[in-house]
Amino acid sequence: MSVRALLARRVIPSAIISASRIDRPARARAALRRRLGRPGHVELYFAFDDPCSAVAVLDLVERLRGRDVTLELLPVVERGIPGDPAREQKREYALTDARRLAARSGLVLGRHAPLQPEAATFLAKRAAGAAEPERFCLEALRRVWFDGDAALDEGRFADLAAGQPAPDPAAVRRNERRMRRRGPYDTPAAWLHGRWYFAHDRLVQIGERLDELGWSAR
Amino acid sequence: MSAERIDYFFSFRSPYSYLSGPRAFALPERFDVELAFRGVIPMAMRGQSVPRAKRLHTLRDVAREARRLGMPFGPVHDPIGRGALRCLAVGEHALDVGRAREFVLEASRGIWAEAIDVATDEGLRRVCERAGLGWAACSAAVADGDLRARVEKNTDELIERGHWGVPVFAFRDELFWGQDRIEDLETALANAGLARR
Repeated sequence: MSVRALLARRVIPSAIISASRIDRPARARAALRRRLGRPGHVELYFAFDDPCSAVAVLDLVERLRGRDVTLELLPVVERGIPGDPAREQKREYALTDARRLAARSGLVLGRHAPLQPEAATFLAKRAAGAAEPERFCLEALRRVWFDGDAALDEGRFADLAAGQPAPDPAAVRRNERRMRRRGPYDTPAAWLHGRWYFAHDRLVQIGERLDELGWSAR
Repeated sequence: MSAERIDYFFSFRSPYSYLSGPRAFALPERFDVELAFRGVIPMAMRGQSVPRAKRLHTLRDVAREARRLGMPFGPVHDPIGRGALRCLAVGEHALDVGRAREFVLEASRGIWAEAIDVATDEGLRRVCERAGLGWAACSAAVADGDLRARVEKNTDELIERGHWGVPVFAFRDELFWGQDRIEDLETALANAGLARR
């Protein structure tokens, strides 16, 4: 076997796994942050057209309650693997998957067909500039995914938009760039203190990680 | 033999398949079902690109999940190419002689926790013998065109069912994708009245 193949197949992946277990610096930084009186922080990159994002946002908002942790909701539109031949299949399957995940929390998904990203872009622009993003995102995601199959039009969300700042398309692009810098390539993705998780897959683990870093629920 | 069946689509190149193995093969002990192992050709050998960000995340995420499950992970030796195909052929032979569970668990542990290079005779022989398989028959299986055709059929069937990744569990007309969705499969099995008393 060539040196190059050995590096690619064994040495580099094994080194990445070993390095991922080094946790002392992250714990030390978290301890320092707590001593300075600063809360823990979770960035959640999500998309309004993604049913798994809806499940993750609704769950994480509840899961983080009672912890000294801030949740930053960051809507994106463009994401995924460029040229992914399975993109449409993934969109279909996400609906099935989100239905099962929602059922774990006693929720029933109301929508029966996937949405295209463009259909919900106006919500991402609104949310990215919202004065109270958590309130806006929670309610909008509930209406999109748990209220039935109605088409998305801005009128259905007019009450949420009332009194809010103007939509901010540039903020959505900033979120997308920030997401890529952090590592995630798809939604929903939670980044917390140097690690990221597919949020809908790892809701329990996110809570456990915050516990490890000292931000347990009071 | 149970009247109900779960098709278990598995890739030796997938560390998530490795994580799913012990729990997947234990399902018939807890539910009245037959588990049918269906080895498939790795996604990256089917023209689907796997970007660097995904490769990095997979290794880190699997390391965390393996720790939670109490399974060893690393050092690894990526079997993409010849190694994966040889394991798939031997996997079909192992099915024929009733040792699929032993071989799949041994081979995937060797690849993902012991850095065994299954592309070599030495590495493949090691995992075959640990699984209780004779090397002469395994060596013949690697060159057996019929076994290779069965692997291609498995792969085609996964695609026909509208799926792309692994591990996938097909139960009746439902698909469950991911080692972290076994609990949803278990719910479906329980709802179908298949839990063993």
